[in-house]
Amino acid sequence: MRWKGKREMRDVFRFLLPVIGLALIAGCASLSDRPSVPTRHPEELGTGWANCLECHEDETSGALKPYASFVHTTAFLLQHGLYSSRDQDLCASCHRADFCQSCHAPEEELKPSLRMGNRPDLDLPHRGDYLVQHQIDGRVDPGSCVECHGRRNNEKCAVCH
Amino acid sequence: MSDQMRIPSGKRVLLTLLGLGVTFITAFVGPTSPAAAAEYDLYSTTYLSLYDRDQAVGEDQQFISLYEYLSLDLWELSGPEWSFHLYGWGRKDLGDDTDDDGAGGSLSSAYAQYSHPEGKRYQLKAGRFYLTEGTASETLDGVFTRGRHTSGLGGAVFGGRPVENSVSSDEEGDLLAGGRISYVLEGFAELGLGYLTEEGDFNGDDRREVGGDLWLRPAEGIEIVGRGLYNLATSGMASYRLAARFGPLPSLDLLVGGEGYRYGDLFQSSLNSAFGFSILDPDDEVTAVFADLDWRFNGRSALRAGIRNIRHDRSDPGDANRGELGVRFTLEGFLDGLGLSAAVQTADLPENEYSQVRGYALKSMGNWTFSLDALTQSYEEEISGEDTVLQVVGSAGRRFSGDLKLSGDIRYTESPNFEEDLAVLVRAEVGL
Repeated sequence: MRWKGKREMRDVFRFLLPVIGLALIAGCASLSDRPSVPTRHPEELGTGWANCLECHEDETSGALKPYASFVHTTAFLLQHGLYSSRDQDLCASCHRADFCQSCHAPEEELKPSLRMGNRPDLDLPHRGDYLVQHQIDGRVDPGSCVECHGRRNNEKCAVCH
Repeated sequence: MSDQMRIPSGKRVLLTLLGLGVTFITAFVGPTSPAAAAEYDLYSTTYLSLYDRDQAVGEDQQFISLYEYLSLDLWELSGPEWSFHLYGWGRKDLGDDTDDDGAGGSLSSAYAQYSHPEGKRYQLKAGRFYLTEGTASETLDGVFTRGRHTSGLGGAVFGGRPVENSVSSDEEGDLLAGGRISYVLEGFAELGLGYLTEEGDFNGDDRREVGGDLWLRPAEGIEIVGRGLYNLATSGMASYRLAARFGPLPSLDLLVGGEGYRYGDLFQSSLNSAFGFSILDPDDEVTAVFADLDWRFNGRSALRAGIRNIRHDRSDPGDANRGELGVRFTLEGFLDGLGLSAAVQTADLPENEYSQVRGYALKSMGNWTFSLDALTQSYEEEISGEDTVLQVVGSAGRRFSGDLKLSGDIRYTESPNFEEDLAVLVRAEVGL
């Protein structure tokens, strides 16, 4: 398949974007009737690591995936981006809207482990004097930095880089 | 606008937050509002940060900074389908200025949301919001809509102006738009294909990406997740990740996988100058394999082990291997949390080798909460003449009647940057 020129692709996309949007809106009646994810978890949750299976059976949820997928194990936390990128509404049913942006903010001065220094039980990035540690992490695995410090939250980087 | 009339950005953000908060609370929650039955969640966290900095030249500096973080969620606006969400922060320096303005802030999100209450998983967002959809992870001022057909076919589109704080203003885009189509087979699979474009003055090198994502559950207790990103502007595979999760028992979670990226395609220097090619080789490629085991026992206690092998195409910085072992306990009636962990990284180059040990304890006594957290790192090669880092954080806090919590942290640090550094953070949290 031959890619068209940049201007032609942009024009095609600009035409398709509103068409797709209108189609989604107009086709509301034919959309899936599976229950949506609730906007808020019906019962108040305590603090600490969430284990959905404490209350839920291992059945599919409104996210059309089993509750077991979202138990907050270390494996889930390490790959949480892969789950939230499809099911952000499920995250929002338990976490406030600002929860993601405590790390993924466009601009943030206080790192999460500083703001939540009274919660050493949480798995938070950049503990300690990370300015020292980042010299190693930045050499060995700079790709791990891009998610939070690529297109945003990088004013401090400009001081040296 | 003259300099005398110009309002510093931090004050502008605080005024914006206060104005939006007052406007919407009055409009939707006030006694005469048409949606007086609306529910709201208001969270305010105020921080007072105090620390000194010794300067090699000039007078030593004393920083006293006041931060306000505000999160507002309004529910049941004109019905259960509509909600509004706002989040932002502001800073005012009460001692020496931490930057040129002596103030700062950011409006991170302010958007209205529609979610169909009875199914269809149809959602609409408008305003400033953080978006994750497939391989897109953006903050933008715009709109987002998503829905799914009864057949399992779904779609999402988004567009607007990107909200970015790039290293230089030349990197900030004017327009960001994209979409994702997906197919879901309930409980078994979800496949997605997305496109994103960002236009701006990028020296003729706009951002254009195609991304794919998958989730598979071929059998109970087995999941396969993955994501790949192709950079159309550089005609190269920017990044990919594939992992398998195994849960043979409800208390056991094993993750194994691999990932990789190429600097030239992932960082695209015209867009991410913080990862400029003056310090990184654009032709270097990184591949990594990893495994993580999580075993939960006795309620909320858990054992965790992880290994990661990182390989570079280039001999500098070379390869590295990291291993970590950790355990956390809940000791009923004694400690609410106790954690111990150790990690070690070996590498081709000694400058990338280090070891780390961390321990913490958490205790609640009535309305009081106490914690202690200690971390030490030891480096194979000295950094600025030092080869160890030590940080100890002690915290104490009390919950008062209502939803007020006050707490304070004392942080002691010894590192190549700090001989003996002491910092204090006071925290006031209110939830309504």
